[in-house]
Amino acid sequence: MAESSLNVLLKGNTGRNTRGLLRIIILGTIAAAAVSSRLFSVIRFESIIHEFDPWFNFRATKYLVQHGFYSFWDWFDDRTWHPLGRVTGGTLYPGLMVTSGVIYHILRFLTIPVDIRNICVLLAPGFSGLTALAMYFLTCEMSTSPSAGLLAAAFMGIVPGYISRSVAGSYDNEAIAIFLLVFTFFLWIKAVKNGSIMWGALTALFYGYMVSAWGGYVFITNLIPLHVFVLLCMGRYSSRIYISYTTWYALGTLASMQIPFVGFLPIRNSDHMSALGIFGLLQLVAFADFVRGFIPGKHFQRLLTTMIIVVFGVALVGLVVLTVSGVIAPWSGRFYSLWDTGYAKIHIPIIASVSEHQPTAWPAFFFDLNFLIWLFPAGVYMCFRDLKDEHVFVIIYSVLASYFAGVMVRLMLTLTPIVCVAAALALSTILDTYVLATPGPNPKAKVVEDASSEPLRSARKPDVGVTSYLSKMVVTSSVVVYLLLFVAHCTWVTSNAYSSPSVVLASRMPDGSQHIIDDYREAYYWLRQNTPHNAKVMSWWDYGYQIGGMADRPTLVDNNTWNNTHIATVGKAMSSREEVSYPILRQHDVDYVLVVFGGLLGYSGDDINKFLWMVRIAEGIWPDEVKERDFFTARGEYRVDDQATPTMRNSLMYKMSYYNYHTMFQGGQAVDRVRGAKLPAEGPQLSTLEEAFTSENWIIRIYKVKDLDNLNRDHGNAVAFDRGHKRKRATKKKGPRVLRTE
Amino acid sequence: MMRWCLSFFLFGCLAVVNALSSSGNRLLVVLEDASEKSLYSTFWSDLKARGYDIAFESPKSDKLSLFDLGERAYDHLLLLPPKSKGFGPSLSPKNIVDFLNKDGNVLLTLSGKSTTPSAISSLLLELDLHLSTDRSSVIVDHFNYDTLSASEKHDVLLLQRPGQLRPDTKAYFDGEGVLAFPSVAPHTLGDNILIAPVLRAPVTAYSYNPKEETTAVEDISATGSQLALVSTLQTRSSSRFTLLGSVESLQDKWFSATVKAPGSGKETNTVNQDFAKQLTAWTFKEYGVLKVGKIEHHLAQDEITAEDLNPTIYRVKNETVFSIEISEYSNDKWVPFELPADDALQLEFTMLSPFHRLKLEPAYHTENSTVFRTQFTVPDQHGIFSFRVNYKRPFLTAIEEKHEVTVRHFAHDEFPRSWKISGGWVWIAGLWSVIGGFMAFVIVWLYSEPASAKVKKNQ
Repeated sequence: MAESSLNVLLKGNTGRNTRGLLRIIILGTIAAAAVSSRLFSVIRFESIIHEFDPWFNFRATKYLVQHGFYSFWDWFDDRTWHPLGRVTGGTLYPGLMVTSGVIYHILRFLTIPVDIRNICVLLAPGFSGLTALAMYFLTCEMSTSPSAGLLAAAFMGIVPGYISRSVAGSYDNEAIAIFLLVFTFFLWIKAVKNGSIMWGALTALFYGYMVSAWGGYVFITNLIPLHVFVLLCMGRYSSRIYISYTTWYALGTLASMQIPFVGFLPIRNSDHMSALGIFGLLQLVAFADFVRGFIPGKHFQRLLTTMIIVVFGVALVGLVVLTVSGVIAPWSGRFYSLWDTGYAKIHIPIIASVSEHQPTAWPAFFFDLNFLIWLFPAGVYMCFRDLKDEHVFVIIYSVLASYFAGVMVRLMLTLTPIVCVAAALALSTILDTYVLATPGPNPKAKVVEDASSEPLRSARKPDVGVTSYLSKMVVTSSVVVYLLLFVAHCTWVTSNAYSSPSVVLASRMPDGSQHIIDDYREAYYWLRQNTPHNAKVMSWWDYGYQIGGMADRPTLVDNNTWNNTHIATVGKAMSSREEVSYPILRQHDVDYVLVVFGGLLGYSGDDINKFLWMVRIAEGIWPDEVKERDFFTARGEYRVDDQATPTMRNSLMYKMSYYNYHTMFQGGQAVDRVRGAKLPAEGPQLSTLEEAFTSENWIIRIYKVKDLDNLNRDHGNAVAFDRGHKRKRATKKKGPRVLRTE
Repeated sequence: MMRWCLSFFLFGCLAVVNALSSSGNRLLVVLEDASEKSLYSTFWSDLKARGYDIAFESPKSDKLSLFDLGERAYDHLLLLPPKSKGFGPSLSPKNIVDFLNKDGNVLLTLSGKSTTPSAISSLLLELDLHLSTDRSSVIVDHFNYDTLSASEKHDVLLLQRPGQLRPDTKAYFDGEGVLAFPSVAPHTLGDNILIAPVLRAPVTAYSYNPKEETTAVEDISATGSQLALVSTLQTRSSSRFTLLGSVESLQDKWFSATVKAPGSGKETNTVNQDFAKQLTAWTFKEYGVLKVGKIEHHLAQDEITAEDLNPTIYRVKNETVFSIEISEYSNDKWVPFELPADDALQLEFTMLSPFHRLKLEPAYHTENSTVFRTQFTVPDQHGIFSFRVNYKRPFLTAIEEKHEVTVRHFAHDEFPRSWKISGGWVWIAGLWSVIGGFMAFVIVWLYSEPASAKVKKNQ
């Protein structure tokens, strides 16, 4: 009886409805799982914005909500990059802020007053639910099997590679960009399949949204033309491709040019040239296709050859001339560093200094993708067996994204969606082959029947395996075990690696209880409450956004590293002697200097460890004044103890880090717990700065820049006088004495 | 209660009326030997007549302290040279520097009759004023001495009153007459830009230690006009310090002495009293104190409401007006500040370095101030700029004003519209011709289709 009712539910018209309903329920559950697994950080800590960049996005969103869209559009931010300021409205991707602003206003309209902070904190989890949905649609386009889509959605929902950038509080561009990326690709596949202007236009629309949200839109800009190019090379030109591509390119380019930050880049920047080139090529191919109908074969061949040579010649010469004359901007530095991982380190230290831009370590692939990483090649192989246009897309995407993910850690994010698609394709094939419990009396007939659904190679041989319950059991249960392990791994990674706000540090006490180290916020709130509203704070650029967001004080440099010289100036001030630094501080109106020091606690992400990057960046601009070699001992070691070089010991950064540090150890020898170094008994002396604040665990140290001496003395002399040292008369210089007589 | 308040108020008014100084009337005179007080009686009575409330203390006194609960206990300090090794713990160099840093004014006098204590020497070293190494030299001049009182030693110098230091400064110490400086302890000046010399020795003078037995002077450290008799220093916070090389010149005896220079043979009376008055008046801030009143900047437009004043943000290429009101304290009131003839008050519009450096012209005078003004175009560079007026001259207190404003870029709707730019007409024409052509093509296409269908049917 039960079986028959189940049959009623699963077959025929009702069956379709039931399955549809089931699918909706499953997708809803997946979305809920995606959202809830990202809430660890809110539960563990609090509803707080994480990391660095999100603090800027949060601040910008608050500005947008407070002042309205047009003043956001024209926003000139005078509280960063002092004294240059930043044309913020024209140099950011506004998609994220506008999205949260719209949500905020909709909720207000529905009389649900929600704090903008909570919207920002929960935006990324919310959008991850949508990403799972988009992933379902994309994968459904790739496979006839309905389980593939659901599996892909489930993978996408909880895979750590994506969670790393979308936990609650991680209010960054990627939060919505990955959804847009996946959805744009879905629409593109749809457009290619149907050759429809509507789908092409929708692709362009979402592409425009993507451009407004994330600089990674260049990936789409290059991937879609590449897809088309490969299809052309495979001889698969069709009017479907022509219609979808030209629609997407024309509308999408126009849409992307509406973003002030992008502006005329799509027609001037080399990164966008492939899309333009393919657009031109497609016209030529279409024209050739059109001409072929009228001209006999031999003539056509000759015409085609001539045309190709002429067109390529003209295009190449044009590109070279335009690039040399500067109309087309050369490739950007980040682009070069994609091809040559050593490029940035040599030429652009500012790019190399970001940990996200380092090459990926291989365990990271397994850490972020778990068993998907070995299902991934199988899925790509599946695509080769059934090489339709959309499968070509998957293959290209996989190859490109695998390479990029190997080059830069942060590009793991773009690899994750395609891994989910490919893995879901592979796994759904396995499941479809093995999981159905019916014995299948005539496996041969089944093979013939299901020729289109491409069973695994093992399933092709009628007398092996699949018929037996045992092999089904083994395969199915092992898949289930893998899936369970995957869920466990994802949860573990999310909870342990990706849910820390990094503003607040958590550590374990010996008894296992959690101990929160809250130095950052302590220091930022000290600045907020104890300094004038316009006090300029100098710090290394990593902390710029946080100071702007939490302390609400103007900064010299921040994480939007648009002006390398200004950053180098800060680097020079940090790495030079006090006498050199002080005029720089005065010229830039600096009131406070903030350094991060992890020596007491063993916190390795501190400024002394980042110091060499400051030196390198400063050396890039002032090679005669700052030299990296001077910071290494004769044996080439980077030391902070009494073996440290004089340049190191006299640098402002060293002095600020270790000032008064030895007093903590009351007679014992001071020890730096990060670098495991014993420090000199005599601590460094500061004369142009005075200590203003040191946080509980000494992580943040804030110094106030002294005014010029009231009696116009040297600061060193003034400090010595205040300590009660007697000044010696200036030693007699050689040569005739010159005395003032005017 | 009311009475109390009222009486305090009246008392306060009285104090204000009495004081000639712009910064208070509490004067501490440190004098080691009370018997010497009578030697300067005219000087004291001059000061009292100008409203100073003089307290005499011995440096050895336990009560003596420059500070009371961390605040200055006196506004001005006059130090007479001690006989003993120093001024004691309450007048250590550090305390005196602190007193200066807290806007107290100091007049320090030296004498060539006794060795200057090393504490004073190290205080002066902080100010970049240098004494000779033995600290007991006097200036001797064989051409400008008083023949009546120092015919043997030649150590009473006769000098003309100083005129203007530089063409762009005001002369606060000029006048007619001859000054007499007996046994001067000379000093030399360092490179400190805050120092302004008032009176230098004549070119024929040299310093000489009378206690040394040697007759010939060897290795002279400084001679002639390298030696200074009276020098002033204004700290960055505009407190004043004056060093007077000869305390004897303040004595009653020299206030109205008759002197005679060698050669001329004419006897004249000294004008030391007048000079002492000028010197104390300047040191105790009766002259040369500048005050900044209103500072206003706004867009150059006809009607200015209160909201248009001192905006925090400008746009590039705005026309901007800046004005600053300056008063000068003279004797007992604030008067409009007049620039010296060769001098200019300048406004800088600065971001990292000045983009504009403009002369501020006097626009109009009020009863006790002058308003200086200028108008300029904001440079075509966005950023955080500041209006800066940095006016530092010898003998005048410093003006250092810095007002930050933001200069923003053009907003999206502040550019001229496309049709207003004649150069853009070509592009606009191109645009509309493409649109028109497309529309025409579509219409032609749509309405020519049935005909072709007919042709096909006919075939």
